[in-house]
Amino acid sequence: MTSEVSKGLTRSIELYQDRSSRVKELRAEGKKVMGYLCIYPVLEMMTALDIVPYRIFGDLHEPVTEADSYMPAVNCPFLRSCLDIGLKGKYDFLDGIVTSHICDVGSTLSSIWIYALKPPFSHHIDMPHTLHETALAQEKGLLEDYKKALEGLSGKEMTSEALEAAIRVHNEQRALVRELYELKKLNPPLISGAETIQVIKAIESIPVDEGNQLLREVISEVKERSNGPQKKSSRLLVWGSIIDDTAMMEMIEGLDANVVMDDTCVGSRPYFDDVEITDDPLDGLAYHYLVDIKCSRTFRVNNYMDVHKDYMKDLEIRFSYLKDYADEWKADGVIMESVRYCDTHGYDVPGIRDYLDSIGLPSVYLEHDYTEGALAPLRTRVQGFLEIIG
Amino acid sequence: MTQETKPRALNRLKSMYALRAEVDRMYEGGVEASEEGKPVAWVMLEGWSNAILNAMGVKTVFPENYSSLCAAQGMAEPFMERSEAEGWPSHLCGYARASVGYSARMVDVGGKIPPEAPGGGMPKPTLLVASGETCDARFKWFQSLGRFFDAPVWTLESPSPGIRERLSSETYERNVQFLIKELKAFVAFLENLLGKKMDWDMLEFTGGGTNEINRLRWEINELRKSRPGPMHTRDFWSVMTAALFRGAADPEVIIEGHQKMYDEVTERVEKGIAGINRPEKYRMSFEGLPPWHTLGFLDQLAERGWNFVIESAYRPMRPRTVDLSMYDDPMERYVRRRYRSLEESLQEDYEPDEVEAIKNEIIRDGTSSRLGLKHISDYQVDGVVLHVLLTCRATSAGLNLLQRKILDVLKVPSLVIEGDIIDASAFNAAEALRKAEAFEETMDHYRKVRKELGMPW
Repeated sequence: MTSEVSKGLTRSIELYQDRSSRVKELRAEGKKVMGYLCIYPVLEMMTALDIVPYRIFGDLHEPVTEADSYMPAVNCPFLRSCLDIGLKGKYDFLDGIVTSHICDVGSTLSSIWIYALKPPFSHHIDMPHTLHETALAQEKGLLEDYKKALEGLSGKEMTSEALEAAIRVHNEQRALVRELYELKKLNPPLISGAETIQVIKAIESIPVDEGNQLLREVISEVKERSNGPQKKSSRLLVWGSIIDDTAMMEMIEGLDANVVMDDTCVGSRPYFDDVEITDDPLDGLAYHYLVDIKCSRTFRVNNYMDVHKDYMKDLEIRFSYLKDYADEWKADGVIMESVRYCDTHGYDVPGIRDYLDSIGLPSVYLEHDYTEGALAPLRTRVQGFLEIIG
Repeated sequence: MTQETKPRALNRLKSMYALRAEVDRMYEGGVEASEEGKPVAWVMLEGWSNAILNAMGVKTVFPENYSSLCAAQGMAEPFMERSEAEGWPSHLCGYARASVGYSARMVDVGGKIPPEAPGGGMPKPTLLVASGETCDARFKWFQSLGRFFDAPVWTLESPSPGIRERLSSETYERNVQFLIKELKAFVAFLENLLGKKMDWDMLEFTGGGTNEINRLRWEINELRKSRPGPMHTRDFWSVMTAALFRGAADPEVIIEGHQKMYDEVTERVEKGIAGINRPEKYRMSFEGLPPWHTLGFLDQLAERGWNFVIESAYRPMRPRTVDLSMYDDPMERYVRRRYRSLEESLQEDYEPDEVEAIKNEIIRDGTSSRLGLKHISDYQVDGVVLHVLLTCRATSAGLNLLQRKILDVLKVPSLVIEGDIIDASAFNAAEALRKAEAFEETMDHYRKVRKELGMPW
């Protein structure tokens, strides 16, 4: 580790700004560092083999110049940015990449990455789309393949004991993130939405045990500090596709609102359910990654064998956790945001709006192209929304 | 003095018209079934559910195809505008947006077919069968239609492993078992919905008809390798609908129509007749989905001697004979007859030494630069049109990589045209034509390059 180690929020900001600093040190010490895209490539299985998971992000501030020659512009600008950065050599330190069927573009990106960057190791998890019983069995089979692939890379066996220990340490991280989010229930919240992104991005850039230590420091510091966010007129819940940069949160929080809760993937989404410890650890992992994580990439219905359709009941099953979030964090309104060309989130927008309307929670939908320039017009829309709900 | 009339640029197959008419009958059949109180399913195109639904007496109609029909008749725009007004983002699939608008209009008129619906319209669905195959829109879209219909949605799983993973025999066998169990669950759902048992003998019939149609389509496509190319892609697209989106149409009628088409194309090959009425200057492939609203654009290219002899979408699979004698379970027979491994596909499509080279590349690099290009070399294509769609991620995301591979490996250049399947406003035909004119020099150049390298065309 670096000789002078900063702590808590300062360390989070440092890692947010220079994400690869720590894993490059670890790699120099002989550890393997595995890139992964999105939240589905089962991190516990890497940790069990002492491989450091390192999440691949884009860079909203870096113009896309290289990715155009591999992927047309009419595709997810976040994933294009990830590819662009990869093509510019900024992920060359990785020992490989693990991807999954997060969406059509995510799967295609996997193929392009492998073709263009020729990583030393690659594995793709072809996740099912539904919560059918057959899909759960299929997911477990896919994790068995993944286990073999990682064992081949590391030259070690992934024992059940090691995997169970890894699940426990990742569950500890989930619990710590939830503890951090408890501090956002206060008015004003003790930590802002922008700072939350910095912390989450930081822990997704270092080994899980170091991340847990960082979270403890952050929680302790935030509880004690007097310079936290100011109290604002509105408390907002943000739902949507990836936000891996503080710029959007800063734009919203620069207005008369606190972002007190989110349902995004650099936020609460990967952390709000624990993995159950099962006799065969792969059972618990398969269930968690297919069923527990509530991302728009998965098809959910009330009861898939039920031949009777009830739209509002269906919406309640799919989205009532948003009501729970709004109630517990006392949110006055919801910002639905999506990066342009994100089809999976885009199709959920009308249904979520119907659901939020049905429970009397106001909402606004924002679409952006993952550039700083896109935020200015959105600011006006958020301002208008705050005036309505204020 | 009589004035000679220049023939139209495209030389359409006469046998095409009868098959195209079957599409109208598919939609008419859906409406009739609904009026008679019979179940009607809105279905996504995939390889599994249609034969099962038809075997259970369910009429099937295809919203994605219906949206293309709306686009071809200039009727899609109002439906898409309605979709946006309902809150669906404008970047979503054009097929989906048109059907969202159509569904909203159905609600306006009390669940009836909107009076402005082209082609007789689609009746209100009894159920929607979504698919995990090909793209995410195909299940997200149907789920989002819940606002308009009280019909249940079944999403049919369809495994799509990564290239390296597809080489594994264990992966293949697991996927076979997954499909069998998934389709059995689907049948159980249908039996519950319809209150009747599956007719497994009927599945052998409906599934078998699909196989025969596929075989004839394959044989016709093999004929298209001839010079000049005897069948233009517009004919392929016109009849593709009858073959793939055939709903509950009698398979025998579709088979007969394809047999006639096979005979006509064979005759053209024997007589050296092309699919265009101009000298074949350039043999072309169309990659991606077509601009259904402006197919006449291809006629303008035909005027320049561009003959689209092959295309990437909706291609038939190579027919196969599988020994099913050891399998008694009808669903297992149904799955094993159709689902093939990457190993098998490679063995069928490439010479043995090529197979080994490709497999080694996949094992080493995770992919092979030769995959996905075979039709370009088999049909000796001079140039490729890549249709990048504003609203379709699944077909557009990989096109630039494909462009690189085709040029690197086969020395065949590509022309990128941006547009959309349904939204005519996203397509600028005049600009595309200007680009096409300039592209001819590029094709001429690479012809010389291939010749210098000793390539066969």
